[in-house]
Amino acid sequence: MEENLIIEGFKFMGLGMGTVFLFLAVLILMINLMSVITHKFFPEPKANNTNTANAKQDNKKVIAAISAAITHHKQS
Amino acid sequence: MKSFILKTLALFILFSTTSALASSSTYVENAGSSTHKEETYQSQPFTEMVGGFLKSTGIYAFMYPDPDELTVDGKEISDFHKSGGRILMILVTFFLFWLAIRKGFEPLLLLPIAFGGLLANIPIAGIAGADGFLGIIYNMGLANEMFPILIFMGVGAMTDFGPLLSNPKTALLGGAAQFGIFGTLVGAVALTQMGFADFTLQQASAISIIGGADGPTSIFIATKLAPELLGAIAVASYSYMAMVPIIQPPIMRALTTVAERKIKMTTLRHVSRLEKLVFPILVLTLAILVLPAATPLVGAFMFGNFLKESGVVERLNDTLQNSLINIVTIFLGLGVGSKLAAEEFLVPDTMFIMALGIVAFSLGTASGVIMAKIMNLFPGHKVNPLIGSAGVSAVPMAARVSNKIGMEADRTNMLLMHAMGPNVAGVIGSAVAAGVLISLFH
Repeated sequence: MEENLIIEGFKFMGLGMGTVFLFLAVLILMINLMSVITHKFFPEPKANNTNTANAKQDNKKVIAAISAAITHHKQS
Repeated sequence: MKSFILKTLALFILFSTTSALASSSTYVENAGSSTHKEETYQSQPFTEMVGGFLKSTGIYAFMYPDPDELTVDGKEISDFHKSGGRILMILVTFFLFWLAIRKGFEPLLLLPIAFGGLLANIPIAGIAGADGFLGIIYNMGLANEMFPILIFMGVGAMTDFGPLLSNPKTALLGGAAQFGIFGTLVGAVALTQMGFADFTLQQASAISIIGGADGPTSIFIATKLAPELLGAIAVASYSYMAMVPIIQPPIMRALTTVAERKIKMTTLRHVSRLEKLVFPILVLTLAILVLPAATPLVGAFMFGNFLKESGVVERLNDTLQNSLINIVTIFLGLGVGSKLAAEEFLVPDTMFIMALGIVAFSLGTASGVIMAKIMNLFPGHKVNPLIGSAGVSAVPMAARVSNKIGMEADRTNMLLMHAMGPNVAGVIGSAVAAGVLISLFH
């Protein structure tokens, strides 16, 4: 009885961690499978990409302008 | 018109007499079983009146505890737990107030819990007893594990699985962090083995779930496996969750090199609405097939998430995220607080639970980080080990900690969204671990 308890704890650990990992591993596989299926058969209507690219560049310009302003402010 | 009034009057008289008769008959029954003594008022001298009144004051009750007072389940209470212990517990609740208000430790739950604890330690009033309002709240939704489930619905409605869906392999980090649960379980039984504590396997399991860093799950398991430890487990769970920004960073820094902390992760891909909608059903299906014991938690969680992602029941989604979770949080906190009564909290076990709780958090953090380093040994996109620590759940605090430590190494490295993946996977992981523990005992 004395010795049993810790061994029992390790058994719990083995079973528990095994189940958690198995569950999540299967889940990962299913997610990947699902994303393949949804992208293949139910593609989302794409927003026009050029716009977003432009927006990104605009963002970069804004960031550049702001950081330039900050450095200028720090120097002065 | 007149006859109508007369009829109503007659009905009223008839009703009141019958109810009076009924109540008098119940009164006779009560007197017969002598469970509830109806005090009839007798005229008495003024000095006796004053003396009797003084005996019903709190001061008297603290100084001369009532020897016949029993716990809710009919056990005897030692004199200390009825006098000094109560005062000590009231001071403990003041300390919890301070933590919640001044230090900002999970005030949403810690404040109701602490105030419930304060009320539970009032002598004579018996607020935490079966007939007191805290006792009623406890029996209404905690003893039957209802409140944690309702909270889980709200949490589900607040969770965005997008980051997990766009980088699914980070779910493994959320799994690894559950090592904190089972490592602590072994620790708790080892303590028993060495004779320091006296925990049964059920109690050890309930304590170890603190490592899941998920309040509702801890409360759910504690009420199921070891209700006598609920107060200590809930307080440990919520206070350590609030201390995540203090507990985790030293462990994360010790286990990673600066170069590892600087790893930049690839940007997350866009996740379609359909994927987000299918995901809750997917998880639930898996839980049904593998571990039905976890479905109360997983089911409620995914219900909330499904309503949110469906996008057509904005009202219900809004209720789950706000009104419902707020109301249940008040009741849950007060109900847990009722378990802070001195006779249940001021026991050596509490000290061990507090110690084991912090071990559980640290183990979970460390194993998440180590898992990320193991994943980096394999080919593929590199994972920044800092997001591993977010696998302990504690949404979204743990993810914010990952982000903060990442920014310390490289100010342009935003890890927040990457860390949300293991973070929400950790919630699923703890629910699964909880399911395993439940299924082992039933």
